[in-house]
Amino acid sequence: MKRTFSFLGILTALLLMVACSDENNVNSSGSNETEGEADQLVIGFSQPTLESPFYTALIEGAEEEAEKQGVKLIVVDAQNDIEKQNSDVQSLITQGIDVLLLNPVNPAAVTPSLKAAEQANVPVIAVDRNTKQEVTSYIGRDNKEMGRLAGQKAIELLGGEGNAAGKIIEIQGDAGGTVMQARHDGFHESVKNEAGVQIIEGPYSNYIRAEAVSAMQDLLQAHPDVNLVYAHNDDMALGVIQVLEKSGKLQDVKIVGIDGLMEAVKQIEEGKFEATVLNDPISLGVLAIQNAVNVGEGKSIEQYIDGGTGLVDQTNVDQYLDETKKFAEIK
Amino acid sequence: MSMDVEGVEAPKTKKFQTKDFVKKYNLFFILIGFFIIGSLLSEHFLTTQNVLNVLQQSSFVGIVAIGMTFVILVAGIDLSVGAVLALSGMLVSLLLSQGMNPILAIIITIMAGALMGFVSGFLSTKFKVPAFIATLAMMVSARGFALLTTDGEPIYDLPPMFTALGESVGRIPVPVIIWVILTIISAIALKYTTFGRKLYAVGGNEESARLSGISVEKYITSTYLLSGVLAAIAGILMSAWLTVGQPTAGQGLELDAIAAVVIGGTSLAGGKGGIGGTFIGVLIMSIIVNIFNLLGLSSYYQSIFMGAIIVIALIMNQYLANKK
Repeated sequence: MKRTFSFLGILTALLLMVACSDENNVNSSGSNETEGEADQLVIGFSQPTLESPFYTALIEGAEEEAEKQGVKLIVVDAQNDIEKQNSDVQSLITQGIDVLLLNPVNPAAVTPSLKAAEQANVPVIAVDRNTKQEVTSYIGRDNKEMGRLAGQKAIELLGGEGNAAGKIIEIQGDAGGTVMQARHDGFHESVKNEAGVQIIEGPYSNYIRAEAVSAMQDLLQAHPDVNLVYAHNDDMALGVIQVLEKSGKLQDVKIVGIDGLMEAVKQIEEGKFEATVLNDPISLGVLAIQNAVNVGEGKSIEQYIDGGTGLVDQTNVDQYLDETKKFAEIK
Repeated sequence: MSMDVEGVEAPKTKKFQTKDFVKKYNLFFILIGFFIIGSLLSEHFLTTQNVLNVLQQSSFVGIVAIGMTFVILVAGIDLSVGAVLALSGMLVSLLLSQGMNPILAIIITIMAGALMGFVSGFLSTKFKVPAFIATLAMMVSARGFALLTTDGEPIYDLPPMFTALGESVGRIPVPVIIWVILTIISAIALKYTTFGRKLYAVGGNEESARLSGISVEKYITSTYLLSGVLAAIAGILMSAWLTVGQPTAGQGLELDAIAAVVIGGTSLAGGKGGIGGTFIGVLIMSIIVNIFNLLGLSSYYQSIFMGAIIVIALIMNQYLANKK
């Protein structure tokens, strides 16, 4: 009896989690559709996590577009667990999806998912993060290009090409992450020819603001003469602003981030922050659905579809500022 | 705590006291050692601002680790603290964004933390669910609720009356002041009240504590309740300090808190240890990270070194405990 109780307690907790991640699914029964819907296209979308505003916005974009196109979308959340992702995909296939959108937890470890999709003749489109094995198409963004754009802006802020001089602190994402690597490499590629520029690579702060604050506090002690901070995402950049504000250095230090988080765009408008690079999740979700519909209808699509990017700075911030959005939209 | 480490000679009255003293004394020396190493390695280490930064970076883990000390003293473990911190931060931000009075919002949030702690304690004592599992369930569901509140979105624009909690008095950040006050209160409660003594009794030997008439379940449950309250306080302070409620806050914090408690000499088997050691344990961990950051060394080395420190601390505590 007691055991049953405790078991029930744990079960309830786990069910709650499932409820959290499942609540935005349109009916996930899938198999018992009415006659009228029999020819409706069904798209499955396996996400690595819904624990960040970026991914929730990506799904929002996808859901809106699916409704517009009149297709059925089933979203599953792997909670950063590759095992769960593989079994998620299995169950999507069992539910009879026509196209699979896959944002892999790990590019190489989704092989079981891809095998299962192949056996069931379900085309796979990788979204946001690419898979190691080639699939029908990859819809994503060039994070290296984002790093390059941030680097070019940094050079401009530090005196222009050929004359740029100063000390840059880099607040990095997650150790070993592909996005981190790309945003790091792109930036370094841009500034590598500037003899007067020195980059201090800061500790990995996992894209989390609290960790970026601690890192920046320490780095500011070691490098009080810093001229510019480049953060791998805007949430960390907002933490950097906070540290600089509290130590009265915000006027002397330029800041460049990535993502186009609306909160950061607001700060650009207020002049606290120089620039961010667009990484609009909503449009990526829309693109994913549009292409999934095309594939589902038997059309062929490009092997690589670029979601695009761009720079938001003091000169064009007015075009992007929109309080109702969470991220700046690509124009 | 400085109150435990003053004096140069061990009092020769009781063996137990001497041992206790030696243990604290050692920890304190290790802390001083790190201070010396830090100052030698970087000229930025021993500046007022840097020391304040280290204290500030310690404060959230520090507050959570106080609660963890209580729980570990009765041979329990609480994995839910990071998630409870996140949910509390979201709850207080949510209430504030509805225009609630900050004092009221804080009180409600602390009560919610207490409730979560109580549920963990109740599950593990009443239904004999192992603490590891009960608090793991709480961790998973609290994190789920934290994300559910706003669909994973952070809450911005908290009122200045509330974010004042993240500011400084003079140059000392408010979270640091609260951490020190809570540490002193808890240390006194553990050392000089019947509640504290009974906790040691329960942790030392549950069965004999039960036979001597202590209501063991009540005491064990109360430690989880305290842990929930302290995690909620840390969550409130973190939101105020970051001026944003974030559902992903405090991830992995439970492990840092457990490590700090262990480094501080509290035994995972229960019944041995104290708040002063935990305080120093938290500082040692923060100083290591700080030194690595000042020197610009990779986080990878940081993790390896931290692992080594935890093992060394465990071995040392074991050795001191067995020394007659």
